[in-house]
Amino acid sequence: MIKFADVALMTHATFGMLCIIASVWVFVDTLNVSQGNLVRIKLMSRAVAGFMWLAFLIGGYWYVTYYYADKALILKGPWPFAHHLVMETKEHLVLMLLLLTTFLPITASGNLVANKSARNVVLWVVGLIILTGILMEGSGAIIGMGVKLAVLPK
Amino acid sequence: MKHNELEKYTISFGLSLAITSLFSALLVILKELCEHSVLVWMGKATGHHWMTHGIIDVVVFVALGWLLGTLNGGRGVSISAEKFIKTVVGAVVISGLIIVGFYTVDMMAG
Repeated sequence: MIKFADVALMTHATFGMLCIIASVWVFVDTLNVSQGNLVRIKLMSRAVAGFMWLAFLIGGYWYVTYYYADKALILKGPWPFAHHLVMETKEHLVLMLLLLTTFLPITASGNLVANKSARNVVLWVVGLIILTGILMEGSGAIIGMGVKLAVLPK
Repeated sequence: MKHNELEKYTISFGLSLAITSLFSALLVILKELCEHSVLVWMGKATGHHWMTHGIIDVVVFVALGWLLGTLNGGRGVSISAEKFIKTVVGAVVISGLIIVGFYTVDMMAG
């Protein structure tokens, strides 16, 4: 039977991935901005923020409720850095990512067709979101591997 | 507003993001180095130090973004787009490096 903790963790990763996909969408649409896709950029920017907040709240709940068990395993296993470096960094970098995604709809609220500076801000912000998001997904994989290696028979 | 000027809240919340990111990175170092005082207090405040950290970050970000927007008689902060982008991107990258650097050193120190 699938445990609630596992569903929460997978949901967290899924919303994180949806956030990255929506961010790539915003990036490409902004590069090709026109009156035709302006509304879509604004909607997708809000989707980026929405997906991120869902990923954050679900992941945060999992982290404060269930992570202690995984942490104990990681620290006894061959990859203790998966907690000491990767999880510690991830849990704090994600706070910046949350603020970046919250900021994105504000940057995208202007007239991106006429205003090149506003366009550049959106591209930089969403670029940072994509890179940090990929870093978060990769970090999650390393943490998962840290647990897996700890429970494998030696 | 001129053709290529940024909107008031883009600037105020962007600068707030830059300041909050750096503040958050420094708070990481502070709470880890003062684990018997700051970390304990942050843990007791909400039940987990990370939750307190997140709430502080969001509150600072929103409050500062709103406050910066009220400066100059409600017109907000005046800054060129190029300088604004450098400030925001620079602050976010430096904050990230501070966090990664701190935990790398902390891990290597054992």
